[in-house]
Amino acid sequence: MLAEQIFKSVGKPVPRNEDQRLITGKGRFSDDFSLPGQIWAAMVRSPHPHARIVSIDKTEALKMPGVLAVYTGADCRNDGLKAIPHNPVPSTKYDVKLRGPGDTEVFAGPNVLLPEDKARHVGEAVAMVVAETLEQAQSGAEQVAIDYEVLPWVANSEEAAKPDAPRLWDEIPSNLLVDSFFGDEAATAKAFAAAAHVVTMKSHVGRVTGVPLEPRAALAHFDPATQRYTIYAGSGGAVRQKQELAAVLGIDPKNVRVLSFDVGGNFGTRNRSFVEFGLVMWASKKLGRPVKFRAERSEAFLTDYQGRDLVTEVSLALDKDGRFLAMRASNLSNVGARCVSLSPLSKGSGLITGSYNIPIATLHARAVFSNTMPTQAYRSSGRPEVTYAIERLVDKAARELGFDRFELRRRNLVHAEQMPYTNAVGSIYDSGEYEKNMARALEIGDAAGFAARRAEAKSRGKLLGLGFANYVESSIGSPKERADLIVRKDLIEIVIGTQPAGQGHETSFAQVTADLLGVPFEQVKITLGDTDIVTAGGGTHSGRSMRHASTVIALGSVDLIAKGKALLAHLENVPLDKVEFEDGVFRVAGSNRALSWFELSPLADQGGLPVELQGGLRVRRDNEMHTPVYPNGACLCEIEVDPETGATDIKRYTSIDDVGRCINPLIVHGQTHGAIAQGVGQALWEECAIDPASGQPLMGSFMDYGMPRFDNLPSFKSEIAEVLSPTNPFGVKAGGEGGTTGALAVITSAIDDALSDYGHPHIDMPITPIKIWNAIQDYKNHHKAT
Amino acid sequence: MQHVTITINGTKVSCDVPDETLLVTLLREHLNLTGTHVGCDTTQCGCCVVHLNGKSVKSCTVLAAQAQDGEVTTVEGLAQKDGTLHPMQEAFHQLHALQCGYCTPGMIMAAVNLVDTYPEPLTEEIVREQMEGNLCRCTGYHNIVKAILAVAAAKQGDADKRPALAGVE
Repeated sequence: MLAEQIFKSVGKPVPRNEDQRLITGKGRFSDDFSLPGQIWAAMVRSPHPHARIVSIDKTEALKMPGVLAVYTGADCRNDGLKAIPHNPVPSTKYDVKLRGPGDTEVFAGPNVLLPEDKARHVGEAVAMVVAETLEQAQSGAEQVAIDYEVLPWVANSEEAAKPDAPRLWDEIPSNLLVDSFFGDEAATAKAFAAAAHVVTMKSHVGRVTGVPLEPRAALAHFDPATQRYTIYAGSGGAVRQKQELAAVLGIDPKNVRVLSFDVGGNFGTRNRSFVEFGLVMWASKKLGRPVKFRAERSEAFLTDYQGRDLVTEVSLALDKDGRFLAMRASNLSNVGARCVSLSPLSKGSGLITGSYNIPIATLHARAVFSNTMPTQAYRSSGRPEVTYAIERLVDKAARELGFDRFELRRRNLVHAEQMPYTNAVGSIYDSGEYEKNMARALEIGDAAGFAARRAEAKSRGKLLGLGFANYVESSIGSPKERADLIVRKDLIEIVIGTQPAGQGHETSFAQVTADLLGVPFEQVKITLGDTDIVTAGGGTHSGRSMRHASTVIALGSVDLIAKGKALLAHLENVPLDKVEFEDGVFRVAGSNRALSWFELSPLADQGGLPVELQGGLRVRRDNEMHTPVYPNGACLCEIEVDPETGATDIKRYTSIDDVGRCINPLIVHGQTHGAIAQGVGQALWEECAIDPASGQPLMGSFMDYGMPRFDNLPSFKSEIAEVLSPTNPFGVKAGGEGGTTGALAVITSAIDDALSDYGHPHIDMPITPIKIWNAIQDYKNHHKAT
Repeated sequence: MQHVTITINGTKVSCDVPDETLLVTLLREHLNLTGTHVGCDTTQCGCCVVHLNGKSVKSCTVLAAQAQDGEVTTVEGLAQKDGTLHPMQEAFHQLHALQCGYCTPGMIMAAVNLVDTYPEPLTEEIVREQMEGNLCRCTGYHNIVKAILAVAAAKQGDADKRPALAGVE
């Protein structure tokens, strides 16, 4: 752990380096790039949830003005294009190990760029038209004649898991691709048998999508002289895209350059490659011109990766005093038509016991294919789902068994002195003060004043509810990161393989570097997103970036300082131990020789240096770090329900989030606000709904998908707790996902509390006014009748 | 084809464009003013807001031809010629009212127009209601509201009402 004395910039709310270009219209988003002679691609998408592709007739499309080519799955196969290597099973040492039925390898369903056999979800690209203009490509796409044989389909995960469900893949005997058990079943059964109380709950955490405001776009160019492809395409990690796209094209990764500069939101749903990226690269070589694709919002709603969609059944066993004895959970994840990532199921599996001391637990984790767009990690992948399950169960237990819900939580929280704490499924919580978080949230959220506010609301005919949730989440992520630390003429450049989409890496990484190397914050420059410069790196997901970056930069700084000392010792012809470094200055002991980084750097470029000092004042450092960290916190909110209409109004929202070391509170609070909004959105409005009669997605625009807006959110009260993680030099946990993790639970808890006069109806998310209104009417009708 | 003449960020521009060309397409594709963004197909997101003759408009829903002889200001034209930022740009920066920055140009243009034209003192409630036509997926709107109110308060000369810059609650 680093000594705090060095921190001059770390911990300060420094406004961001990124902002200047973004507030003046000089950002570099994917669609901002155009190349001379570029042509446009448009996709022909399946209108059916499940259909055999009998034939594709290109004739009429090829006659359309400006159309240059029409490509199908057969063309992809003839050119030897491979499926996208998604590698969906999380694989660090600490991820829970998901397996197929009967302990088999997980079958993921190959994600070829264009399918030849069947379309497996509405919106799946089945052909591509390339034309001189975007409009011509779109008009051409309408003329591609595809003969489909419509097949029975299934979208709902519980239906899909049944043995007689329509089957998506012939390669496996059912739609079930994961079927794994974790924990000690015998001990769990024994604990449940001996319990004084058992509470159970079943819920569906619905399907949503990331909705980055920048629709995905890609512009690819093939240079026959160098045989290299260049693609401008924003994502969650340019290096990963480079590797995967090279694999798709069957070429050496060094012949692919990915440029991912400003990315207009990610939230996980942009982490994996999209078929269009490979397609425009391939077409750019075939047609000898740059090819551009830009998704419309309706295409984004249909074919951006989606998130959540988990059916969870949970039971909790308690003794007579309300102590939690054991937990049992069964989670069913809907991966969609292909398995792109099992991160949601895996991450959630490791955290089913939440913030509580539950000594015994078992989990049955399953995943199924369905005729829907594939799901992927979405903000706080898997953790909001299991937090929702345990927190709702605790509220329910308190109510049914007559405990105070806060007292019941306090009685069972993992205590600070138990850290590091190994939970019942083997996850090791690194650090945290859960009781303190809870007390602080209740204090700053003024829980004590709630009764008076509820009475005031009641006087206006409104129902005010108080919601509460504790949470713990895990940050694991890709374990490898690389940083190049380069001393330039008047600044220090850090080249690193994370990929921000608004998280402010150019600022917070510069703060870290400035303090480690003793230079002003203004003299550090962070370089990201061009794979010809950034040679390796794990991208940005799972809250990994600040922790991995600060660690690899800290390790690289030690190397860079050592190189600087050795260089000066050599130049001054003194023993190494006569050179000191402090606060950005190298000094030779016993002399007045003192050089800054920028005075020393030019001396490193001269000839005649020993081999270990050659190459300039720069170092490359690789680091591999598997150990996860466990950010945690508590949240409190008040929601007013109008019993006449079912309308909801969030009056207060308070959160406390232990992010470990907070490098930049301005940025971390911003992350919390945005994360809360996304969780609130899912709890109250957002849903990738599918029409149960036709299998058609019902959301194609912002008119059908309920976004959090200015006028349906309150201002938030957020506070940061800093319990340093012992796992890395700065003590960083993560700050991007905590806000979302507790939000589903706390919103539902508040509405549940508001409806206490109406029998606490269970309402699955999104908890829309019509659902609330119907629940109130059901209660009234029932009580009138009896 | 239409021959359009529009003053954009103080410079008169003339060009021939197909009849159906949207103002945002003219800006982005013909004039390479890529600061104005497109985030949807249905006039819902507000990423494309510019000022046309002093009013904020969603430039995805205005034909280039409708701006004939008009004056358009985009986010590129908001700062002063010497680079001094507009107070709204400065407030967005200081108060961290942007993350990915994609909605930001439209957000800033709409906010400038709101502060310049709203007839009464702005409150949080008014700002939230008036800005409802702009979507942001990153910030939860919290710091955007704060930035707009800070600019409004400064404009009213009521420095006491300004939220602390770079403040942490």
